[in-house]
Amino acid sequence: MENSDIDWQNELERRARIYDDIAAGDRFEGAMTSLDYVAIAALTLVLVAAFWIWGA
Amino acid sequence: MTDHVAQGGLAAVETENVEASRYTAAAERGDAPLLPSERLWGFWEFTYANSALAIATWAFLIGGAIGLFVGPKEGIAAIVIGNIIGVVLTALSTTPMSGRYGVEQFVALRSQFGYNGSRVVYVLAVVLLTMGWLAVLAMMFGRSIDGMMALSAGEAANPTGTKMIVAAVGAILLVCVVVAKGPTSIKFFNMVVSPALVLLMVVMLYIILSHHSLSELLALPALSPPFEDDTLNFIVAVEVNLAAGFSWWPYIGNLARLTKNERTAFWPNIVGIFGAAALGEIVGLLAAVALGESDPTIWMTRIAGPLIGIVALLFVAFANMTSMANILYTSIVGLRQVGTASVRSISWGMILFLFCLIPLGLVVFYPQMYDGFFIFLVWTSALNSALAGIGIVDYFFLRGQKLDMRSLHGPQENGHYRFWAGFNPIGLLALAVGCAVYVIVFNPQTLASLPAFKYLTASVPSCLAAGAVHYVLTRLFARGRGWGLYP
Repeated sequence: MENSDIDWQNELERRARIYDDIAAGDRFEGAMTSLDYVAIAALTLVLVAAFWIWGA
Repeated sequence: MTDHVAQGGLAAVETENVEASRYTAAAERGDAPLLPSERLWGFWEFTYANSALAIATWAFLIGGAIGLFVGPKEGIAAIVIGNIIGVVLTALSTTPMSGRYGVEQFVALRSQFGYNGSRVVYVLAVVLLTMGWLAVLAMMFGRSIDGMMALSAGEAANPTGTKMIVAAVGAILLVCVVVAKGPTSIKFFNMVVSPALVLLMVVMLYIILSHHSLSELLALPALSPPFEDDTLNFIVAVEVNLAAGFSWWPYIGNLARLTKNERTAFWPNIVGIFGAAALGEIVGLLAAVALGESDPTIWMTRIAGPLIGIVALLFVAFANMTSMANILYTSIVGLRQVGTASVRSISWGMILFLFCLIPLGLVVFYPQMYDGFFIFLVWTSALNSALAGIGIVDYFFLRGQKLDMRSLHGPQENGHYRFWAGFNPIGLLALAVGCAVYVIVFNPQTLASLPAFKYLTASVPSCLAAGAVHYVLTRLFARGRGWGLYP
């Protein structure tokens, strides 16, 4: 039981280290950028304004 | 000797593989962050999964409820406005962190509320909400089956009768079996059911439009508007849709962690959840207003004769099961994370069954809940909108999109996210403020509202208030006390 706990802690540590490495190299693939956030804000504003004017 | 060494080497490799697959399974269940290489879903697979989640009869039912407040034109506007705001805020508060770190949503929540605080949030947001929705969806499944059998036999349906209850109980138990087999079986379910449902909606829309012109439909009045003030009726309709959008909060984070990266975790929600839910609600709204009946299990029997009615009800019944499987899976993944050691020691299959006991009880002893689903939905927004506000502020503005995997998954008692005895008083206070703001601005039980409701809705002020309180108090008090590893 104790061994399996140690194994599990080692596995968690391995996974944390992989994310540390990715973060250190800023290598998050497919990360959201400012462009994504601007696009979603613009899409939301356009839909809200257009349907408010059309339907309200 | 060589054979012996080779066999020993193979055995070692096999043991390593068994260990690796055991760890991956544990990570899939949320015990550890999923690595990018272990994640199942790309853009379209997550879009299918989200569409399957959104195109349940709940979309038809919500659309029908909108038809009670406003006519189709205002209703379509309310559906788009409410859902886009609700889905975007909910997706921003949950999916970027799940997509970046593959972390289970309620484990990530330890960084906002503490490890005990996340348990409180789980019980409030997931246990109550999921159990309620499981019961409502199962009853809709039961009503669909009852309606289908009545149509086949040429008899009148009995929506609260024994057949409905037996079918609803059967649906919950079958969903338990599907979810017990893990996310791969849910993925298969989604890939089959989702495209068929999109097709069904298009067919229904075609049938409705072949009986009424679009201009005729848009000119129809509301079924039962509660207020004389049209603007107030419209804002209530927007609020119901905001509630529908925010009601994805407990689920999409844990589905998004199965995607390959942040963009894949975020954008499919706009296509899948917003697009599919809006389409389903619009179909439900138009059908309800055109046929004068807000319950989809009734209007489907009237829409195009018995044969198409039977096919439609059968499809929709199984679509409900897809949604039930998705929300049950994500909820149990969360429950294992927030539960105590004794909860975690219960087997996956048994915990699924135990979780379903209350929905089973609701189906058998409280079938009237189906008719009051609308009030239940709006109440959930008091909580979910505040949670979304706190989530966005905490992850983006206070933490700069950085979470510490060791602190989230390691021993909690002395970890960085322990806050005060496992509770973050600031996060919990912000949550309480957000909920209070909601109920003061708009009471879901009585529909009484402040004048500001007509201009601001209730979910948006609740989201803003909770986020603002969390931001200001965290900046003022958390760092000095060493709480929460804020930079």
